[in-house]
Amino acid sequence: MTVKALRAIADGKNGLGAFVLQCKKLDFHYCDWAGSSKGMNGFIKSLLPKFAAAHPQIEFAVSPRPGKHPVIVGHYINGRTKPICVRNLSPYEILQKVELLRDASGEKLRRTNKAVLSTKPSVRGIWSPYHGKGMAV
Amino acid sequence: MKRIRPSRWSGQLLQARRGAGIPAARTPLCLAIRCQSTSSVPASDSSTLDSSSSASPPPPPLPAPSFDRAPQSAKLAALHARLSLSKKIPLQTLARALVTPSADANPNFNNANLAYLGSTIINFHVYEYLVCKWPRLPMAILYEALRAYAGDESLQQIARRWGVEAAAAPGEEVDPGLLQWKAGEGHVVNTRWGYIRSEAAKGKAWRRGLSSRVVLDSDFGDQVSSSDPERLEYNALQSEAFGSVVQAVIGAIYTHCGRDEAKAFVKSHILSRELDPSKLFQFKLPTRELAMLCAREGFEPPIARLESETGRLSRTPVYVVGIYSGKEKLGEGAGASLDVARRKASMASLKAWYLYSPGNKVRVPSDMMEQGAKPWTAPHIDIGEII
Repeated sequence: MTVKALRAIADGKNGLGAFVLQCKKLDFHYCDWAGSSKGMNGFIKSLLPKFAAAHPQIEFAVSPRPGKHPVIVGHYINGRTKPICVRNLSPYEILQKVELLRDASGEKLRRTNKAVLSTKPSVRGIWSPYHGKGMAV
Repeated sequence: MKRIRPSRWSGQLLQARRGAGIPAARTPLCLAIRCQSTSSVPASDSSTLDSSSSASPPPPPLPAPSFDRAPQSAKLAALHARLSLSKKIPLQTLARALVTPSADANPNFNNANLAYLGSTIINFHVYEYLVCKWPRLPMAILYEALRAYAGDESLQQIARRWGVEAAAAPGEEVDPGLLQWKAGEGHVVNTRWGYIRSEAAKGKAWRRGLSSRVVLDSDFGDQVSSSDPERLEYNALQSEAFGSVVQAVIGAIYTHCGRDEAKAFVKSHILSRELDPSKLFQFKLPTRELAMLCAREGFEPPIARLESETGRLSRTPVYVVGIYSGKEKLGEGAGASLDVARRKASMASLKAWYLYSPGNKVRVPSDMMEQGAKPWTAPHIDIGEII
């Protein structure tokens, strides 16, 4: 028996089999008194119940934060959080921010300069100087 | 002699399965009255107790959150929805899947039985997939491939990507949507399959052959330890606790929804993970093994030929060596010396043999359990590895 085995762990590919939404919790902080929370209070009253019912996989928490600007905090499966201040925004603008938080992966934003990122080896292979007829210099 | 330990086969597991056929008659798990020695107050007596309870001391706290609180937990409901579980699986069962034996030792309230059921289902589906997809994998590689998909570390990653979080410490007051575990002194070994070897007393020097591993040892080819459990590290205990959640969820799906749902869940959450089995090989004598393989299969003996080279007199030479059996080219490798290149070429040829696959659409035995399945055609399974 000359073959021995090395340990490895299979890599998860979210969405390849099952898809798990990466946003797991949304915190809504509002203030009853301050004017910057006016839109947030309207959002919590009018739009949030429908949004929460449509997304059972997200945990929603609404809590007051008197004397502060309204904030929405998204908690993600990778352990990161993403807070957005929504002062002086209208309810529908806040809904856009909430959708942004829902769709985010929780990763740091980074610049993508490749159209496709793949873990599979290249179909065409890598050019080798040692095969074929070679290259005349 | 080898010893079977029927006490480790859970009786409650069988009970749960018996009831699964008749959903209406099944007693919901939430109705189970907690009568542990730690909490001696049955729920039915609460009305009579109210008048006289002022004198008696309050009952000691439960080791894990009560199942009555499961429907109120937002985390639990979110986890249920995140996994797209069927409505047939109650939140109480999901709450129970999150209570490990390290938090609550009572098997009526922890996830030990569900986890054992789930682990058998996971291992069965992963194993049949591996054997049918790569029919020539050597046994040692097969064990490690199984561990890569269904081992505790892999299952821990899955549980974490489901958003399962551990409570700081298990207790009655904790949210039931958090994983209840602790790395304490009294470590309870999870239920698992295997025999205790009689030669285990002779120490580690005793050689375990691979074929005896198939029969005697655990699902991953690990030796089952004797009565005193081995001391595990914190990380191993943690991955065992998180892994048991995944196993218990799959056990719960099997119990409440049946075989097909459990298979679909295993396929989408565990078999969809990516593993390159060519990364698992470690060769000691590849050239000799290749010669043995060619002799066994009746090929002509392998010959290494130099295909091209560059910079033989320089500091960084490159040799490309191909291995030929007659006119067939078995493999090719490049290296900085002739010997390294030959060894690499032998490894490439051996991997080309071992990693033969009939394709991605290979059928597995459990496909035959579906309604109206096409007649079974036996897949090609290799006779075994080269000795």
